[in-house]
Amino acid sequence: MTDSPHLERRYRRLLACYPQAFRQEHEEEMLVVLMAGARDGQRPGLADSTDLIRSAIWLRLRPCAPRSARTVLWAVRLMILGAVLELVALVTVIGTQGEVKSAIVRQFPHFTVAQWHVAVNAHILPVEVGAPIAAAVWLWMAWANGRGRTWARVLMLALFALTSVSLLSAFAQHATTYAASDLAAGCVLWLVGFVTVLLIFNPHSDRHYGRRPGHPST
Amino acid sequence: MQEATFLILTALAAGSQHGYGIITDVTGISHGRVRLRAGTLYTALDRLRAEELIEIDHEEIVDNRLRRYYRLTPAGAERLAAEATRLQANAHVAMSRLDVSEGVVTP
Repeated sequence: MTDSPHLERRYRRLLACYPQAFRQEHEEEMLVVLMAGARDGQRPGLADSTDLIRSAIWLRLRPCAPRSARTVLWAVRLMILGAVLELVALVTVIGTQGEVKSAIVRQFPHFTVAQWHVAVNAHILPVEVGAPIAAAVWLWMAWANGRGRTWARVLMLALFALTSVSLLSAFAQHATTYAASDLAAGCVLWLVGFVTVLLIFNPHSDRHYGRRPGHPST
Repeated sequence: MQEATFLILTALAAGSQHGYGIITDVTGISHGRVRLRAGTLYTALDRLRAEELIEIDHEEIVDNRLRRYYRLTPAGAERLAAEATRLQANAHVAMSRLDVSEGVVTP
């Protein structure tokens, strides 16, 4: 164990990376453990520093919700599922590209090769670009809703409305060109969004929103 | 259950311990294979407390520094027992299939 004030200061600087609520709860005892395990030196070890930074990043980015708000907890889980499903949908669309291309040929037999390429890109490219972005948005929503941000609840509703419009549009305009599995993936995603919105607008979720962002375990 | 979580709960099964005590105990239980670091330990302790598998036993001030002792809750003990039983059953099947007798492995 070392009592170096320099080392303590450096550890405190690393601990500043943690969320405030976590620091209030654990900073002093973590410091005791870090100082107890430190070799006589002026700098935190590389392994300890890496571990502290990695844990701090995880605590800041992980989607979480207090266990007392079960409806929000389930909504957060569904949002993570939504992110996974977006990526599954992306794989499905890439995997069924052949079917989409054939369907476009059938639907527009008079198209030139250039027109056909444009039509194929118009159908597939938005999904290829949009799905990773949508997955990131789902995770962002999980993060923000889990922490009780009121704007996130409203934004989630808006995003769900957008998903509904987009699905209706897919059915109305492109049902003949998208593969059945693509539309099925879209329907599953819509359903996940629908249940998520129901959960976050449930009366049991109300007290979770608008409170000061705090410690998930409290 | 992750190995680190299992080892932390195992360390606390013997009685309440503070953070550094858990680290040294886990190193001993795993024969030096697992060395928990402060960031990993307190992230796990925080999660286990949120899941009500552990709780604070008491706090002490030693050399002007906070020392907080954690203990297993009944739910934590139950979860640890279930996990230990599961691991034991798996290990038993593996050992019987390998036909381990007196330290000699015969696949």
